[in-house]
Amino acid sequence: MIELFVRLIRRPQGLVGVTLLALIAVACLFGQALAPYAPEKIDFLGRFRPPGWQNWLGADQFGRDILSRLMVGARSTVPMALIATFVGSAAGAIIGVGSAYLGGRTDEAIMRTNDAVMAIPGLLLALLLVSTLGNGAGNAVIAIAVAFAPGMARVTRSVALNVRNQDYVKAAIARGEGAAWIIFREMLPNVMAPIVIESTIRVSFAVMLFATLSFLGVGAQPPASEWGLMVADARQYMYQAPWGLIVPAAAIALTAIAFNLLGDGLRDALNPKDER
Amino acid sequence: MIPALAVKNYTLDYATAAGPVRVLHDISLQIGPGEVLGLVGESGSGKSSLAWALMRHLPDNAREIAGSLHLGDIDLQRLSPRELTRIRGRRLGMVFQDPSTSLNPTLTIGRQVTETLIQHRGIKQREADVLAVDLLSHVELRDPAAIMRRYPHEISGGEKQRVIIATAFGCRPDIILFDEPTTALDVITGARILELFARLREETGVAALYISHDLALVTRVADRVAVLKHGRLVEQAPAAEIFRAPRHADTQALVQAVPRPERRLIHDKSSDEVLLAASDIEVHYGRATLLGHAPPPATKRIGLDVRAGEILGLVGESGSGKSSVARALTGLAHFSGKVRFDNREITDARDMNAAYRRDVQIIFQHPDSSLNPRQKVSEILSRPLKLYGGNTAEIPRLLEQVRLPTSFADRWPHQLSGGQKQRVAIARAFAARPKLVICDEITAPLDVSVQAQIIELLLALRAATGTAFLFITHDLNLIRQIAHRIAVMRRGEMVDLLPAEDFDAEHVHPYTRELMAASPVPVG
Repeated sequence: MIELFVRLIRRPQGLVGVTLLALIAVACLFGQALAPYAPEKIDFLGRFRPPGWQNWLGADQFGRDILSRLMVGARSTVPMALIATFVGSAAGAIIGVGSAYLGGRTDEAIMRTNDAVMAIPGLLLALLLVSTLGNGAGNAVIAIAVAFAPGMARVTRSVALNVRNQDYVKAAIARGEGAAWIIFREMLPNVMAPIVIESTIRVSFAVMLFATLSFLGVGAQPPASEWGLMVADARQYMYQAPWGLIVPAAAIALTAIAFNLLGDGLRDALNPKDER
Repeated sequence: MIPALAVKNYTLDYATAAGPVRVLHDISLQIGPGEVLGLVGESGSGKSSLAWALMRHLPDNAREIAGSLHLGDIDLQRLSPRELTRIRGRRLGMVFQDPSTSLNPTLTIGRQVTETLIQHRGIKQREADVLAVDLLSHVELRDPAAIMRRYPHEISGGEKQRVIIATAFGCRPDIILFDEPTTALDVITGARILELFARLREETGVAALYISHDLALVTRVADRVAVLKHGRLVEQAPAAEIFRAPRHADTQALVQAVPRPERRLIHDKSSDEVLLAASDIEVHYGRATLLGHAPPPATKRIGLDVRAGEILGLVGESGSGKSSVARALTGLAHFSGKVRFDNREITDARDMNAAYRRDVQIIFQHPDSSLNPRQKVSEILSRPLKLYGGNTAEIPRLLEQVRLPTSFADRWPHQLSGGQKQRVAIARAFAARPKLVICDEITAPLDVSVQAQIIELLLALRAATGTAFLFITHDLNLIRQIAHRIAVMRRGEMVDLLPAEDFDAEHVHPYTRELMAASPVPVG
């Protein structure tokens, strides 16, 4: 584990990704304590105040400090995206490995259903689910997880099909192991590397998707300082106070880039053939 | 006279995270014009590193410490990349182990052959086409003009190796390096490639360095043989002498390890009690789809019986259906027909109950893929114990049984060598206390000397437990040493089923005779 981490930060993309994520993690954990102002503190004299010594990143239409809102909002954006990705990836991985193991007509049935779900664009599916389940951050998480699972199942199945043909899986079948043991103990550990890489990259999509849902008004609800919601709120005053829009948008982009870099770095670090 | 190839006091290191590892110690070799030198060694002895050094294609972490490499009067180590491209192929040819990966799958055979000829012989496309057809017919390929238009996946492994050999000889190099050119092929195809090699060599007088782990095979093709052990050259002698009178202890061990049919390793008789009787076995892969019929079965109504405590050999070239039989008997493939085991009739993989699964165990060919890389040895061995009601405290005993230190329980599979992994796989099979163990080519990927140790271990286990073996292999010499009876398969049919002693008799099937002729019997 430590060795993997050393290999990860030895590469530039891994190092930058890890550093950025460490900053985001600090914001998630201690954002409330570190923020210079309370996120909902309204200051009428400071409406649309440009970035300066009072408000480092400027203030919004109610005079709320954008930096403070950003730091507090990290907690309601990034962990949500992580949870959604984790749930979606886990479900997708189990479906993929299970489908590859069962094979034949069952595999066919599972994968065609999967394709049907995949044919619906992720955002559309998420919108559909949220409008059925009701607005709110929790439902948005479920919607994103459901939207992610089919893609993950596809990736996992392709790797699992290779593993399925390995002799250790045949040996397990020949000695009469149950399906659960073969799927969870023999096959799943051997497809983990691509799953981990794929899901770190997907976290960035989840951050953006979650922000999009909030932007459209079906995710987090005001006055939460979720980043997507901040962008949505600032849109009306785009010409008066562009910082209100740029800053949270940049935060979303930076988080997405950080997870992407981490995914890239992990892909190289987990590749055992690259022993140098 | 200048030798065709001279290696003088050559020493090579690989720089690794754990410090430099010396792979070649002070190697000195000479190959005269028109001479074939066989280079024999176990895997890891550094023989391929030497080939790569000669081709100037060493990995980045290789460090050449001392010595020189000369091709004729050219110093190979001083060549610039541009000069190297003029040497490679034209003066120094190479034929690799695996023909399936040494041809580009997206180009036609003709394109690949003519491109090489145009590059190295400096001729026009039209001349190259004519020459290529000529070369391909010279390596006994039927209808070379048609082969030229095909892609690599449309011809067989033996044909691919012939194409590569034709290309290598076509550039008229001074010397050709052969890196185990027949290892990836089955016995009969390999034997034909060797005949071809001998003929071409006589015609062209090219010098060659022939690398292999099989001493018996090398003595048939080479004039002189050099034995490499842990990166050191231990013995060099004419091919005829090295087998009869090996001087060095390591060479003697290599000679000892070569299987000889006349040296039987088992002396008892098997009982007459039938343990497993299979009849009319047809193995089916794939199934009929909406638009197509199911492919024909891999075996055609095979019938065989294994007696209690017997070693039954099953031989045949690749694609003969021998592994399909193993898969059917372990429920890994769909089959029709009947298997009778322990007074129970089995017609389908679903009929195989826990008792059958315990009594019939299988050991696979590739030790790398038969152990789960994410499980420690102790976990791998504990599974059959848990499934069949054993005690996990037995793991040290299981390891001792296959002569591995008990500390190996804490190791991961990638920390073991190929032979050690195969021992763990054997321990896993014997953990179930089976009545029948199916060995599917378990010694094929191993060196001759490791193979001999594994065979000795299996015979010791048989003596201790009375287990019967169904031993699948393509090595007829090996199986004639250990089997009570041998079945010979060809294209899904069983052509012979004879006691091992009867193989020299007159009434064997012509195919069996062909197979025996193809198996390299050691010189002397």
